[in-house]
Amino acid sequence: MLTRRRFVGYSAMSSSMLAFPSLLRSGFGQTPPGSAQRPLRLAVIGSTYRRGSNMQTIADRFLIGYPFEGDWHMPNVQVVSMYVDEQSRRAAVAPTEFDHAETGSARRGAAESGPASDLSTARSKQFGFRLCRNIPEALRCGTDRIAVDAVLAIVEQCDDLPYPSNSKGQVLLPRYDFFQQCVQTFEAEKHSVPYFNHKQLSFSFAEAQSMVKSAERLKFPLMAGSSMAVTWRLPDIDIPLGTPVQEAVMVGVGGFDEMDFDALEATQCMLERRKGGETGVKAVQLLEGDDVWIAQNEGRWSKDLLSSALSRSDTPLGLTVLDGRNQDLVSSGVLPQLVKDPAAYCIEYVDGTRATLLILNGAIKDFNIAARLGGEDVVSTQFFMPPAPSETYSACLAAKIDQMYQSRNLPYPAERTLLTTGVLEACLNSRHRQSQRLETPNLALTYKSPADSQYIRT
Amino acid sequence: MAPNETSAKRPQLAAVVTAYRKLLHPQHIVDRFLEGYGWNGKYHYPQMDMVSLYVDQRGEGDVFQERADRHPTMKLYPTIDGALTLGTGKLAVDGVVVVGEHGTYPKSDSGIVMHPHYEFFEQITAVFRKSGRSVPYFNDKELSWKWEWCKKMVDVSHELNFPLQGGSSLAVTWRIPSVEFPLGATVREAMCIGYGGISSYDFHALETIQCMVERRRGGECGVEWLQAYRGDAFWKAHQDGIWPQELFKAALTRSSTLRPGDPTFSDIYPTVEQMKAMVPDPLAYQYQHRDGLRCTMILLHGMVRDFTFAAKIDGQSKPFSTQMYLPMPDGRTTLASFFSPLVHNAEQLFLTGKAQYPIERTLLTSGLLIAGVESANKGGQRLQTPNLAAVTYQPNPESTFWRS
Repeated sequence: MLTRRRFVGYSAMSSSMLAFPSLLRSGFGQTPPGSAQRPLRLAVIGSTYRRGSNMQTIADRFLIGYPFEGDWHMPNVQVVSMYVDEQSRRAAVAPTEFDHAETGSARRGAAESGPASDLSTARSKQFGFRLCRNIPEALRCGTDRIAVDAVLAIVEQCDDLPYPSNSKGQVLLPRYDFFQQCVQTFEAEKHSVPYFNHKQLSFSFAEAQSMVKSAERLKFPLMAGSSMAVTWRLPDIDIPLGTPVQEAVMVGVGGFDEMDFDALEATQCMLERRKGGETGVKAVQLLEGDDVWIAQNEGRWSKDLLSSALSRSDTPLGLTVLDGRNQDLVSSGVLPQLVKDPAAYCIEYVDGTRATLLILNGAIKDFNIAARLGGEDVVSTQFFMPPAPSETYSACLAAKIDQMYQSRNLPYPAERTLLTTGVLEACLNSRHRQSQRLETPNLALTYKSPADSQYIRT
Repeated sequence: MAPNETSAKRPQLAAVVTAYRKLLHPQHIVDRFLEGYGWNGKYHYPQMDMVSLYVDQRGEGDVFQERADRHPTMKLYPTIDGALTLGTGKLAVDGVVVVGEHGTYPKSDSGIVMHPHYEFFEQITAVFRKSGRSVPYFNDKELSWKWEWCKKMVDVSHELNFPLQGGSSLAVTWRIPSVEFPLGATVREAMCIGYGGISSYDFHALETIQCMVERRRGGECGVEWLQAYRGDAFWKAHQDGIWPQELFKAALTRSSTLRPGDPTFSDIYPTVEQMKAMVPDPLAYQYQHRDGLRCTMILLHGMVRDFTFAAKIDGQSKPFSTQMYLPMPDGRTTLASFFSPLVHNAEQLFLTGKAQYPIERTLLTSGLLIAGVESANKGGQRLQTPNLAAVTYQPNPESTFWRS
């Protein structure tokens, strides 16, 4: 039988084609046929590996491939280790052997059965990777040195064993903690590998900033973000690089945390292309309830842009649900009736560009943006989020991650995610302070957008 | 005899439809003329008026009265003649919108619903004839369930010299990725994978293929034979390579609704055994054009919920492929927005007096559907199709699908 140590040894020094493909990859072939290079060894670290979790939908793509450019693409990646925080947290709170003996209670395994039960044990057996009790172990795969070439970190809320939230409504997800454990290992061994962090870097901008600094200091590629920035667009359009942008209005649905981040980041990935590049954010304000409609009537954001963004939606609610009709949601004045709890993220950039994210639960169910360029030109599009279960938008992200692992080049700078992390936190601070407008000198970040659009087009 | 050649006045349109209820084609299409729709980043109101409506079947759930009440310009007429003449005895509109889909109509002997496209056409062209004048005619989906009638509809449109524009929204909706079939390319094989049942969504899949391959070198030269595969014969043909696996994979990987064959995964390429478990009644029509192009239309109902296209094009190292995206109001969306480009192209028909794409495309796909159902009924017998071999035409070199 193949021991873990031997397995690691084999995968480290031999071609994947020789390394027990049938045993290790269960016939799926974690490696594309004919690939000359040794597959890149990947550690997957995350919070919960259940059906439908982000970790499952994204990490699976590195196990079984994903649809890409009209083919089923097998990344030249081999998942060699995995750390699932839920398992460790359950173990930590589980009754001990002594407790069982004392109470006579039945022992319950970490992975209960059921449709949404933990999949990490089954995947580990099927694909022959090591399930680890902690993050350094996942990086070292049972050896005493880092034995992976890249890290995939997918930390999300774990519904069955939730992480706590703070008074601002932020879930205190341990993205920074995961990263720090890797960085400590990297530093200890003076060896760093590319790291992907799904979604925002942290709930805290300060932590996020230190993450970006650590990556710079240790010179490893840190990529972060969500799928919305890289998914298909309807129509296939971007802000032309270097064009002045006066204002953008994004519409979507959400609830002050994870989805709102995605929408903010998708907005950012378009706006960063404006003339002069990213100059950072000067101030933010988060409005809620009637204040949103008052601000709208006062012209805080362009109604034309709102109308343009909504014209891209395929999911108007209200009368459309009643009898199928199309609706001009803006000029009909129906929005306040449909949206009981609106929210507006108002963002003022240092260079004067303005962006507003309107959360319109009850009016629509998709994400659409409109931006006014210099003059009267308006660019508008829908960020296409294909439905569950396949959620093929995450295949677009997996392709970007894979390219980063292979090339060690970032498709887009971590500063995009850093700034968006900061904007979200600042907006939630504003909300916490009764919708006060907050100056954000710490968000005066500058960076350059990639010259080519990075969303999927082919 | 273009409707608006003399003035810039708004074209006046008549609608002739089967039944007007929520989520039926007539609602999707006529509503867009009345209510407007999102187009090109704006809420767009067609620059024309729907002035009359004939509804063939009335009943529970009708919404046309509500529409007529809110849009008093549109009058209801109990006859098609009335809707076209507005009671004047002569043709009094500048264009006709016909939606023959949906409603409750009996099936033909071969099992195709006998939608009244032709009966509507007969009555409409009777008005054209008695008025000595014809106007642009939009016909949703196929021409007719009977080949002779399909052919006659096209012939009469030529005889009376009016533009007839038809077909499926698949030909004009978003593509993901947003690509056009290269004009003049040489193509050896083409395929569409779709969903739905026989004599229904197969039409959409056939239009998906045809709107692409008609752009090939030489244009459309007709189809010489067709063969249907169903049930076990389908799986045998699939495994025997009757259609190229390469194209099958290229089309399937463009799907965004691929159901996982293994329920512990969310997006996984299926094995044949998994496909068999998910698709109880697979269907394929394979047919060969006179220039050798072989096309395969496949319905995998139960496994996908979208339409994807792949083709082997000379000079391209890998298959050309895309998805014809239908934002379906089946829970994914609330609006069937693919009707927006269909209506937009109909507007262009009425504004310019020119069909935006040749009606021969729809003549061919209507005939392919009829032949496909017949072959399936005959246990998958290969049918020679001399009637379809005679359908030749050139495409509109301009792209007419939704991309802005």
